Amino acid sequence: MNRGLPIPSALEQKRYRPTGSARRSERVVVALLMACALGTIALSVLIVLMLLRESWSFFSSPNVSLTQFLFGTRWTALEVRDLEKVEFGIWPLLSGTLRVTGIAMLIAWPMGLITAIYLSEFASNRVRKILKPSLEILAGIPTVVFGYFAVLLISPGLQWFSPSFDTFNATSAGIAVGILCLPLVCSLAEDALSAVPTSLREAVYSLGGTRMNTALNVVLPSALSGVISAMLLAFSRALGETMVVALAAGTLATFTLDPRQQSQTMTGFIVEMLKSDLEYGTVQYYSLFGVALALFVITFVMTLLGQLIRRRYREVYQ
Amino acid sequence: MTEIPKALQEFKPNEASERTELQRRRDRWFRALCLAVGCSSIAILFLLLVSIAYQGSSSLNATFLSASHDPENPERAGMYPSIVGSVILCTLCAIISLPIGVAAAVYLEEFQPKNRWLLRLHGLVQLNIANLAGVPSVVYGLLGLTLFVYMFQLFGKLEQNQVSGIDFWGIQRYYQFVTADDLAVIFVPMDESKESTLRIESPRPAFDTNFNPIDLQIWDPATPQPTDPDVLSRTVRKGDVGALVEIYRWYYFRLPFGPSLLAAALTLSLVILPIIVIASQEALRAVPSSMREASAGMGATRWQTTQQVTLPAALPGVLTGAILAMGRAIGEAAPIFVVLGGNIAKRTGPEHLMDSCVTMPILIFAWADNPVEQYRQLAAAAIIVLVALLLVMNSVAIYLRGRS
Amino acid sequence: MAFSGGCIRFSAQFRYFPIMGVLCFFTLVGCGGQPSAETKKGNGAADKAPVPALRGNIQVDGSSTVRPIGEAVAKRYAEVQSQVQVDVGGRGTGNGFKRLIAKEIDFSQASRPVTPNEAKLLKEAGVEFLEVPVAYDGLTIVVHSANDWVKELTVEQLKKIYAEDATAQNWSDIDPSWPNEPMKLFAPGTGSGTYDYFCEVIGGKLRTGISLNEDDNALVTGVSGNQYSIGFFGVAYFEENRSKLRAIPIVNPKTGVAVLPEREAIEKNDYSPFSRPLFVYVNRQSLDRAEVRSFLKYYIESAPELVQNVGYVKLPSDVWTKVNEIVANPQANLGSRFLNANGEKKEGSFLELFLGQSDAAKSEAPAGAATGQEGQ
Repeated sequence: MNRGLPIPSALEQKRYRPTGSARRSERVVVALLMACALGTIALSVLIVLMLLRESWSFFSSPNVSLTQFLFGTRWTALEVRDLEKVEFGIWPLLSGTLRVTGIAMLIAWPMGLITAIYLSEFASNRVRKILKPSLEILAGIPTVVFGYFAVLLISPGLQWFSPSFDTFNATSAGIAVGILCLPLVCSLAEDALSAVPTSLREAVYSLGGTRMNTALNVVLPSALSGVISAMLLAFSRALGETMVVALAAGTLATFTLDPRQQSQTMTGFIVEMLKSDLEYGTVQYYSLFGVALALFVITFVMTLLGQLIRRRYREVYQ
Repeated sequence: MTEIPKALQEFKPNEASERTELQRRRDRWFRALCLAVGCSSIAILFLLLVSIAYQGSSSLNATFLSASHDPENPERAGMYPSIVGSVILCTLCAIISLPIGVAAAVYLEEFQPKNRWLLRLHGLVQLNIANLAGVPSVVYGLLGLTLFVYMFQLFGKLEQNQVSGIDFWGIQRYYQFVTADDLAVIFVPMDESKESTLRIESPRPAFDTNFNPIDLQIWDPATPQPTDPDVLSRTVRKGDVGALVEIYRWYYFRLPFGPSLLAAALTLSLVILPIIVIASQEALRAVPSSMREASAGMGATRWQTTQQVTLPAALPGVLTGAILAMGRAIGEAAPIFVVLGGNIAKRTGPEHLMDSCVTMPILIFAWADNPVEQYRQLAAAAIIVLVALLLVMNSVAIYLRGRS
Repeated sequence: MAFSGGCIRFSAQFRYFPIMGVLCFFTLVGCGGQPSAETKKGNGAADKAPVPALRGNIQVDGSSTVRPIGEAVAKRYAEVQSQVQVDVGGRGTGNGFKRLIAKEIDFSQASRPVTPNEAKLLKEAGVEFLEVPVAYDGLTIVVHSANDWVKELTVEQLKKIYAEDATAQNWSDIDPSWPNEPMKLFAPGTGSGTYDYFCEVIGGKLRTGISLNEDDNALVTGVSGNQYSIGFFGVAYFEENRSKLRAIPIVNPKTGVAVLPEREAIEKNDYSPFSRPLFVYVNRQSLDRAEVRSFLKYYIESAPELVQNVGYVKLPSDVWTKVNEIVANPQANLGSRFLNANGEKKEGSFLELFLGQSDAAKSEAPAGAATGQEGQ
């Protein structure tokens, strides 16, 4: 890969003067670099602090109880203005999020994985050179675009298929999010599959295995941790996806398993609350930070899991 | 040498070769399935682009690219301010996050500590960056709202009609007066009193519309009005009240930021920071260690090696990652929506750091919400422009990658 | 690189993209650069009387319903005063007043009059304000275009559908001759002036289980997507979607006649009780600024014609005479006409309260003949 790299001028000109002053200034530079790296930790801390501080205004309200928040099945923050009667149970939002994400993953996981297998195991060089970049260009399309795709094309299609679908429903949003996550799964899974050494494939062929045997019985299991981490990353991306669900999933927080119904997700609720005319400073307004905190915790756990699995896989092949 | 992988150990060649014909047929079917799924995934994505291009292409014309949003007449509406806004925002983002991101990547890749505890910390930073990349962008938006827009209300609130917030540079305050002939305005610099209005009774230093100093004349309405138009254009009525007007330079800086360009740029920088770090790390990792060793062999310190050997070699990769991250920033709508609100009626691009700003995704979001069908077509046209801009950026990325 | 979905990788062989991209870029620059300069020139050479080139920054916020009016005025105003920047937000009526109280904005656009509580807070904050109605909005009750059973609705029936204590689930619960199918209810979000106004008319809060959406267009899509749905929003959104939706005539409680939300009916106040005025509230202190005065003047001059272009109905001419009078003499017309001296809400219709006429006087005086003598 780097064979054609020119020798950097520094190496050719030998202008190094490792004097004491260079070492001293080096310490300063390293300290600066370290500060930048540690800055990213500060960023995480800031996010957590912000979420805790703002959601405290929500959780400390006498009308909100943590048990109700964690186990309640009715969420009426946008519907009811009377604080005595508002119910803050996160399950409708959580179930909405999980429905949309579930449908998205039903599309993104198998399609992404099969496309990845195709790209890494079957496609000829020429096909791969066209397919891979096109897929990756599509990965850069802004998510707003997918939202309108869902509202203008997918949802009418579903209603034509079965009139029992709501105009805004979990399925159309899920499909759009799935399509959105597809290039991500595909690209990461393909990386993992191509990282499996060619010698392994050659070994299978020498034992009389077909390409399918190679792909399914040897390459996929060897790259499994990488593939799973790709899937988890796509999952957390889908959980946090905002614009598509804000446009296509509807605004009614329903606690159900029915994918044809409206389903407000956690991110959808955050956007709707910010868009709403509801006044700042009310408990209902601050509930959005409570939801954001829950969302943060969930995605954090998912990415952490994905990273841990990924690290294991790195140790195997480096 | 590595051991034989488990997957290969468990593979049973006997089973595979016994039913060769069946296996071959299955293999063919599987290949067909893979091909079908692979092509359909890409077909779906292209269908999306084509349908949008079909909808929007009729509205894409010169007016559309040069005008601003018009709530009365979709035919006169355009997206010029949002293009400028997005490009400036994106550039600011790169200026802010690129140095920090690359520095963090250099530290992580080139300065791995030997101390056991520092090494732990190192791993923690690495893990933390991966996690940051997974945080939903709307959460970054909320962080931007409290951290940059309101700054925890530490520096007061921004109010109209009076001096508010803490200014640093790039602002001048005047009292604005309309001249006696109602044809021009005159600016009187604000003094230390910082009152919100000034009743003019006696001559003071003043400036004309173009901020050239003038000799201010005061006319008592009880006396006859001066007739010379030249004098009249620098005359104000005695007892007139002038109110505060603020003139900003592009580098105007104040605390708190309020819903401004800078707040949005900082928020987006946080969104793309982890992406830049990860991309830069991969670019640095791709530099062969032999080059570092050669450099060290000639007596270079680690920083000298990084500065003069590793970084230049990794530069194309770093820039590619940076451009792709900027592509993410330019298409991001949720955090901008949280920080700036959905204001789309701006006539120009942002004029100073504390100005409001319209971006393309926000405009698309607002237009596609509009009840008038034509605005929805405009949204599709705006999507074409946005995707075209992304293509330009990505092409630069390819070009750079081609050189590496 | 193997991380974010936004990261894209290309093979070096994929060469024609740069060329395409560069072409696109030049098209963009070529189209974008020059015409904008031309438009600027065109604006500068306006054929209007010369005006002083004011500078300044005007902040407008409030109801998302009134927002298009503010945006349209700002857009036109920019052609007269290019150096004055007007930011128009749409954070909602309640938040608009909140920001007016906090002195963050100069104009608060509202789809309902100021409430006693908000007026009290404004007073405590030392903010005096000017109340200017700018247009009428008809709140339209809509159903799917395939809904052929609902011919008209009374306020009582709407209560049965929407009110907090309503138990009706199916259409047949409202009228036995209607289909036995569940109703799908849509409404604007709780914070919006439209929601408030509807609540006021049906005399209470709305039930739960309604799809609330801040985005009126989402309501249009929602109602037009299901045959058994019903919803309500501003007349502008209905007019743009006549093909998909059907407006229901509402029985005027005074006359007993069912009236459709047509422009004329709204202007004459026949479409009752669902036609409502839209307001702009101006911070009095901001009127010290020449640019704010000029903008307000421009707003009032252009509003009657302009509101029709953004889907609202212009106010009757007697109201307009009054508005001009208020703006011409702000100091004498501060405060709200819908609250009495103790800050309590006055009873009466918009016209009665705003024009300060009694019902009898109004019916005698032909519309448009009112002069500026009533009031203070």
